[in-house]
Formats: sequence, structure tokens, C-alpha cells
Amino acid sequence: MNTNARIPFLATLAVAVLVVALLVVGRGGGSGPSASPSPSASSASSSASGSKSPVGSSSPSGSVALTKLSVGLGFIPSVQFAQFYLAQRAGYYRDAGLNVTFQNKIDPDLIALVGQGALDIGIADGTSIIPAVSQNIPVRYIATVYAQFPNVVYAKASSGIKTAADLRGRKLGTPGKYGSSWIMLQALLGSAGLKTSDVDIQLYPDFGQGAALQQGAVDAATGFVNNEPVQLQLSGTTATILRVDSIVPLPGNGLITSTDSLAAKHDALKGFVAATLRAENDIIADPQKGLDAAVAAVPDLGKDKATQMAILNATIETWQSDYTKVNGLGAIDRDAWTKSITFMSGLPDKPVARAVTVDELVSEELLAK
Amino acid sequence: MRLRSDRFQTGWIVAAAVLFVLLWQAIVIVGNFRPFVLPPPGSVGARFVQAWTDGTMERHVPTTLSEIVLGFGAGAALGVIVGYVLARSRFAERLLSPYIVAAQATPVLAIAPLLALWFGTGLLSKVIICSLIVFFPIAVATMVGIRSVDADLLEMCRAFRARPAQVLSKVEIPGALPSILGGFRVGVTLAVIGAIVGEWAGGEQGLGVLINLARGSLFDTPLLFATLATIALIGVALYAAIALLERRLVGARG
Repeated sequence: MNTNARIPFLATLAVAVLVVALLVVGRGGGSGPSASPSPSASSASSSASGSKSPVGSSSPSGSVALTKLSVGLGFIPSVQFAQFYLAQRAGYYRDAGLNVTFQNKIDPDLIALVGQGALDIGIADGTSIIPAVSQNIPVRYIATVYAQFPNVVYAKASSGIKTAADLRGRKLGTPGKYGSSWIMLQALLGSAGLKTSDVDIQLYPDFGQGAALQQGAVDAATGFVNNEPVQLQLSGTTATILRVDSIVPLPGNGLITSTDSLAAKHDALKGFVAATLRAENDIIADPQKGLDAAVAAVPDLGKDKATQMAILNATIETWQSDYTKVNGLGAIDRDAWTKSITFMSGLPDKPVARAVTVDELVSEELLAK
Repeated sequence: MRLRSDRFQTGWIVAAAVLFVLLWQAIVIVGNFRPFVLPPPGSVGARFVQAWTDGTMERHVPTTLSEIVLGFGAGAALGVIVGYVLARSRFAERLLSPYIVAAQATPVLAIAPLLALWFGTGLLSKVIICSLIVFFPIAVATMVGIRSVDADLLEMCRAFRARPAQVLSKVEIPGALPSILGGFRVGVTLAVIGAIVGEWAGGEQGLGVLINLARGSLFDTPLLFATLATIALIGVALYAAIALLERRLVGARG
């Protein structure tokens, strides 16, 4: 090897060593993306609140250090997250010894961020958790938020669509052939002996299927029961809604955390779940409280309070089911999860990479007995 | 001597690839990254092979390739024509340049959903997106190339009363070819990006759709990396094809 050749080789090697060294230093200086949350020095007050990583801020009394929790909500701040805004505004989180901060992220990112410990808690639907855990992303579903699956197919009542069987040959708008809407659609059509190829699928990746339905470009569309159908009704058009719950009880959105956080921040997470469910109960009793909290957190929502209240009322409905009426808000229906695993494992896209059990997916230990 | 030099260069290329893989593996180990955050090269390699043998790539690669080829072809043709006009007409340059530059400055990511809305989520919208992204560098390269043609040669053509078509085919195009092909090199890699962006804006098949599936539905990070590797290989192959064409037409550069 001549000298000219040796110089670039050595330079490349030096850069490689430098990158690795920087990484080592970076890891040593703080927790990296996959670092397990480690309990920090406990204080008297943190043990009182059951938390393990106090941040040093204190309650109005000055005696309680708060445990910092980062919470990932859906992509856009919305009245659909009213229970979190109310728990924050009413001081329920603070009372539980928590310093909660919210971040808005898209669902797939939320699961990965929670799994790697960058967020303590997130919201994700069960149909995403099943494939994620099958890919060994270490997350657990710890409380149900939407006890009824929120993804639905809806149509104008004037379209004549009343059941899933009526969708045969009709134009149906959906954002894409993946995700929870697609899984719901396959279940719904399957119940009528139909496949997705029996329907004229129109893709609206920019979530324009609602506008397309209103303009008559499609006969039906997928959407969230507490959003697009509500908007359609508010525009004066009666909507028909086709739900999947009675066919396959797919688990709706709920709170998730990582297995590491579940162990390291157990009591803080338990306090968070209890405070959030308390706020949910408050809003069920008085929806106006939820709307006020949402408008205080996201002032833009105050521009059309009637619409926001309609969305909130529809959201409140999805929080509750026959199962939660018996077992309480947040309860996790294991039987529904088992059926969902079976259903999703048989889908042609093969979203479930390996066999998973309900125990790998959910944990009820943070819910009040 | 030449053979020895080629072997030496090949050795370096292989060594750089090995070093890259080793560095990647070292980062995974040192950073203690979980596979869903940063999978090790071995698992990505295994998933790459699996995706190419179980029919996954077979479903998506032809779609993306056809979008790239058609989009690049249309964008390059338009870019060469407009670039020539801009080079030969100051008025045209003054008239069109602001619009062309404004179109180039507009993020294609922002207009892709609109194009999908106007032209549907089929092949046409992707070809248009690829063409738009390819057009600018090729138009500019053509304009610069045509303007850099030897003025004495053009003067001689005029002296010999050469027809415009003769001037174009015998002097201007050969003179501007190195610059035009330089634009093609840039354009073809941008066409790959255009196709993926187009597929993100809507589509049923294609490597952009596969990225969305791997990331948002299957949570299969090794498949995501295998798809990115496939996209990168397509980009490298197309770039090499243009470089080969360039070598054939104008000889080795640099």
C-alpha cells in the first residue's frame, strides 16, 4: 500500500472511531433512545406519591416533588382529548404527584417512541398494538379509552346503504389500504361475505374521503365515529353508520406504555390512569367541563363550540360500552383482544408477524380494582 | 498498470462497504439499540433477501420503476426543450424564469397531495410529480450547456449558411451534451425521490407504499430498511446507467 492510499484509509478509520466514540460518550451522558428508565434517587415526597423519578418541582404546598411524565396524544390537538386537558386543568395530575406534558404525534410514531422510552405514555389503538408487539416492540396497553371501536363506515342515509352487504359494488373512500380503518373494513365486509375487491375502493391519502362523500364522489367512506359522521350530521345530512363492534370487537384506542416504564414508573403511571379516568367520569357527568378544558388548552377550538360539543358528545359515547358499564371506565376486555388476535392473524396482509398472547399485549395492573 | 489501478479502486470500494457495515453494527452494539429502533445489518440483510424472494418486492418494484422511467423521460424531454428555448431567447428567459424558479422552490411534498387529488392516485400523478422534480435541473443544465457552445463554431456555421437544424444537431447538442448529461445525472436521482413522494401521497403499490406499510401498519423496521436499500440500489443503478451513457457519448470525465 502506498502512502497516498494509506492517508484516506486512516482518515476513514479515524472518522469511524470518532463516531463510535461520540456515541459512547453520548450514551454515557444521558439516556439514549432505548435506555431503560432508571429510578432516580427517591425522595420522601416521591415515595408518598409512589413515584420514582422526581424532577424537583413542587406542589403549591411546597412539600411534594412531582414525577415528570411525557404523554403522546394524537397528531392534532382536539376536543377528543378533553379528559387529558381537564385532568391537567383541574389539577388531578398534580394531585397524583405528576408533572404531565403533552406532545402530539402520529400513531405509528407514538408506539415506537413509547416503546423506546422517549415518551412515558401514548395513545394507540389495539389493531396497531397487536402487530407492534408481534414485532417485539415492548409496549403494553394499560387502559381502554375508546371502549367502542371508533373507526366506522358511514354513508348518507339517502344512499340506501343500511348494512355491510349494501356496500357491494359501491364506491367507498378510505385513506389507504393499511391501518385500523383497513382492518375494520375487512372485518365489516367479511361479515357480509364480501371482500375488499367487491367494493370500488377510492383512496384519499389526504383524508379527503369525508369531503368526497359530501360531494357525492363516493357512496360511503371510512371515518371516526366522533368526527366525520358528526360533521355530516351537522351539515344537515342524515348519516348511516356501520360499526364493527358486533362483528369483531376490535380494541379501540387506549393508553399504552413501555414494559420498562411499567416497572420503573408503576405508581406514577397508576396515578396518571386514575386521574385521567376521573376526568372522563367528570366529563360524562358534565360535558361542558370537558369542552371548557379543551378550549382552554387549544383556544382555536372555541371558534365553533357547537361543533366541538357535538364531537365531544360522540367521543363520550365511544368511551362507554356494555363492558365498561359493568367493569368500569378504562377496563380491558380480554375476550375482545383474543378475538382480535385471531381475526388479524388470518388477514391476507399478515400484519401479525408471530403468535402473540393477550398477556403480551395488555396489563390491567394500573387499573383500580 | 491500468488493470492494477482498477483492482486497487475495487478493493477500496469493497473495503468502504465493509467498513460501513461494521460501523453500523458497532453503532447498534454500542448504542444498545433495539431492532425496532435500529436493526442490525444482519437482520436487514436477511429481511432484504426474504422480501426479494417471497414476492414482496415483486409487487412493488415494477410500479416504482415505471413511474421513475416515465417521469424522468417526460421531465427530461421537457427540460431539454425549455432549457434550449431559455438559452436562445433572452425574452423567454425573462418571461419564464420566475415561474420556473418558483415552481422549483415549491416543496413537492406539499403539492403531491394536490396532484393526487387532481389527477388521481394512479400512474399519471406520480409521472407528473417525477417530471416536475426532474425538469428544473435538466432545464438549467441544458441552458448552461447551450450557452457555453463555442461562439466561433456558431459563427462558422453562420458563415457556411448552415440550416438551424444542422446547427442544432452538429454543433449545439454535441457541445452542450456534457452539461445536459450532468443534469440527467442529478435528475434521475431526483426522479426516484419524486416517485416515492408521489406514492406517499396515495397509491396501492410501489416502494413508497411499502415504506408506509412497514412503518405504519406492520411495524417491521427491518423491512423498512430493506425497502430503503432497494430504493437506494435503484438510484445507484440508474445513475450508473446515465454515467455509462455519458461515457459512451462524450467520453470519460474528470
